[in-house]
Amino acid sequence: MAANNQDLQNLVNYGLVKAHVAMGLIFFIIVAIMGFIYSLQLDGIYPFPGIEFLSPGRVRMIHTAGAAYGFLVNMFTGLLYWAVPRFTGYRILSNALGWFMFIALQAAVLITVVSILFFGMADNVEWGETPWWLDPIIVFWLLLHLLQFGAPLYKASQRGPLYVTGWYVAAMLVWTPLVVFMGNLIPRFWAVGSGAGAVQSTFIHDLVGLYVTPVAWGLMYYFVPVIMKKPMWSHGLSLLGFWGLAFFYPMNGVHHFLWSPIPMFAQYSAVFATVAVEFAVTSVLINFMMTLRGSAEQLKYNVPLRYMYTGAIFYWITCFQCAFHVTLTFQKVIHFTDWVTGHAHLIMFGTFGLWVLGMAEYVWPRLFGKETMYSKGLSEGAYWLLMIGVLAMFFDLTAAGLVQGFDWIGLNPWIDSVNFSKPFWYFRSITGLMMLTGLFMYALNFYKTATAKAGLSAELREA
Amino acid sequence: MGKMERFSFVALVAGIIFFLFADFISWALPMFVLKDIPKKSVNDLAAEAIAKNTSAWSDFNKIYRFYPEQFKKFCEYEDMYSGAKKVEDCVPNEKTFAKALKIGHRWYVAEGCWNCHSQMVRPVSNETLRFGIPGVSNTVSYPSEYQNELQAPVLWGTKRIGQDLIREAAVHNIGWHVAHLYNPQSTSPGSVMPGYPWYFEKDKNGNIVPNARGIGLLTYIMWLGSWEVKPPEGFRIETAEK
Repeated sequence: MAANNQDLQNLVNYGLVKAHVAMGLIFFIIVAIMGFIYSLQLDGIYPFPGIEFLSPGRVRMIHTAGAAYGFLVNMFTGLLYWAVPRFTGYRILSNALGWFMFIALQAAVLITVVSILFFGMADNVEWGETPWWLDPIIVFWLLLHLLQFGAPLYKASQRGPLYVTGWYVAAMLVWTPLVVFMGNLIPRFWAVGSGAGAVQSTFIHDLVGLYVTPVAWGLMYYFVPVIMKKPMWSHGLSLLGFWGLAFFYPMNGVHHFLWSPIPMFAQYSAVFATVAVEFAVTSVLINFMMTLRGSAEQLKYNVPLRYMYTGAIFYWITCFQCAFHVTLTFQKVIHFTDWVTGHAHLIMFGTFGLWVLGMAEYVWPRLFGKETMYSKGLSEGAYWLLMIGVLAMFFDLTAAGLVQGFDWIGLNPWIDSVNFSKPFWYFRSITGLMMLTGLFMYALNFYKTATAKAGLSAELREA
Repeated sequence: MGKMERFSFVALVAGIIFFLFADFISWALPMFVLKDIPKKSVNDLAAEAIAKNTSAWSDFNKIYRFYPEQFKKFCEYEDMYSGAKKVEDCVPNEKTFAKALKIGHRWYVAEGCWNCHSQMVRPVSNETLRFGIPGVSNTVSYPSEYQNELQAPVLWGTKRIGQDLIREAAVHNIGWHVAHLYNPQSTSPGSVMPGYPWYFEKDKNGNIVPNARGIGLLTYIMWLGSWEVKPPEGFRIETAEK
C-alpha cells in the first residue's frame, strides 16, 4: 500500500478531484438559486414574469434535475476519485477516461438545462427530467463510471475482503446504470399508465436509495474513521446496515404513489420494505454514534466532522419520519403537500448536501497542499447558516404540509389552502436565503483556500 | 463472511439479484396484473372521443369555431419533440384532434404543470367530493383511464399547489381557461400560478386568443377527464319539460 505522500499523489488524480468538486459546488449554488427564485413565485414576487424560458415550472425542473446530475453526481464522483484509490490502494482505470467523463458530464448537464429552459424538451419523470434522447447517453456514462471505479475495487478484491466503503460503491456502480435505464426509458417506451407510475416511483426512490445513499454512506465509512483516526465501532453492524439497505431499499419506491391505481400488493410491499429500511438505517446510525463515543470533543473544532454528524442525525430524523408517513394513514393527509417537500430538502440538502460539503472541506485544502481552510470564520459561519437554514425550512414546510392536508380534507375552498400556506412560503424563502448565503460563504472560502499563496497551517489560525 | 465482502459477490447479489427481485415486486408484477387493459395510442383516444361524442370533442369543435385564424396556424405547426406534423385537412377531425392532444401534452410536460397539479383522484380525504362535478364527473381514479400514450410516463404529479386536473373537463369552460392561463389571478384571486402569455396572441380586434401551441394546450386540458363526464341524472327530462 501507499506509504508516503509522493505515493499518494501518484495514486490519486488530484486534478480530477479538484475539477469535479469545484463544478459540483458551482452547480450546487446554481441549483440553490433556481430553487430560491422558484420559491419567489409562491411569494408572488417572481423576478422574471412573462419570460418563456424563465418560467417557474421550467426553473423548477432545473432545480431537481440539476441537483441530481449537476451537483450530486459531480460532487460524489470527485470524492470517489479521492477515496476509492486511497482505500483500495489502486489507481482508477484511466486518467484520460476520467477527463473525458468529466467533460461529458458537464456537457450533459448543460444540454439538459438548455433543452428544458429554451426548447421545452422535458420528461415528466421527477429527477429524470432530462429529455429522453439524452438518457441513453447518461446510461453509457454510468457504464464508463462502472469501469472507472470498478477496476480498482476489483483488483483490491482479488487480494482480500473489501472495506465497507467498497461494498457500497461496488453495489452502487452496478445499480445506477440499471436504475437510470429503468426509470427513464421503460415508462416512455414500454410501460404506460399505472405500470409506468410504478416504474417511475421505483426510479425516484432508487436514484436516492441506490445511487445517492450508497455513495454517501460509503464515503462516510471512509471519511469518518480517517478523520477520527480510529476504526468503526462494529463490523457486524456495518454488514447488517449494508445488506439491510441492499435488500429492502429497492422495494421502497411505490410508497411515492400510495392510494393510487397501482395494485395494492405493490403498495403494501413498499410500505413494509420502507419500515424495514428504518431498522437498517438505525443500525448504521448506532454504529456511527458509538464510533463517535470518546471523540465527541472533536466536533467542537473539526468542521468537516461536524458536517458529517449533523447530516447523520438529519438522516435518522428523515428516516424515522419516513417510517410513519409512509403508512397509508399518514398518506391520507400529507400526500401532495409541502410536508413531502420539507422531507426531501432535509434528506437532500440537510444530509447529503451537508455530507458532501463536509467531505469537500476536508479534501479541498489537502488538494492544494495546505493544512486548513483559508478562514475558520467563513467555515463556521457557513456551517451554522446552512444547518439552521435547512432545519428551519424542514419545520416550516412540515407545518405547512399539515395545514394544507387538513384544509383539503376539510373541503374548504381551494384558494384557502393557498392563502394559508403563504406565510409558510415567505418564511421558506427566508430560510432559502440563509442557505444561499451559507453556500456563498462556503464557496468564497474554497476560492480563497485554492488561491492563497502562503501555505495555510493549522496551528497558527484561530476562530 | 469474507466472501460477502468481495466485489463480485456484492455486485452479483446486491447489485443484480436484489435489484431484479425488487423490480419484479414493485413494477413487473403490477404491470402483469394490468396487462389485459389495452394500451391506447393518441389516435385511439381521439377516435374514441369522437365516437362517444365526449365533451372534449365538442370543446375542440368550439375552439375551431371561436379561433378559425389560429386554428389554421395550429394545423401548420410542426414540432420534432412530440412528432407533430402539418395537417392538410384543417377541420376538426380525428387527425387534428390527435395532433392537438399531442402538442398540448408535450407543452403541459415542458412547462412543468405537473409540478403543481396532480392528475390523480385518490379514494381518501374527500377527494372525490372535491375534484370534478358531483354526480357528473367526480369518480375516483382507476387504472384503465391511464392506460394510454399520453400517460407514459404517467402524469400523477408530485405536489398540489393548484387543484387536481384529471377531472377538469366539466369544471371550467374554454373562455375561463384562456383567461386563467393568460393571467391566473384574473379568474382566481390569490392564486400563485404564473401566467403563460406565450401561448396567446392578439387578434385583429385586440382580443387575447390562443396561438397554435395554445390551441393544443387548451384541447389537452379540456380533454382531461372528459371520458368521465356524463349528464347529471334527470338532466334530459328536466330540460325537455321546460
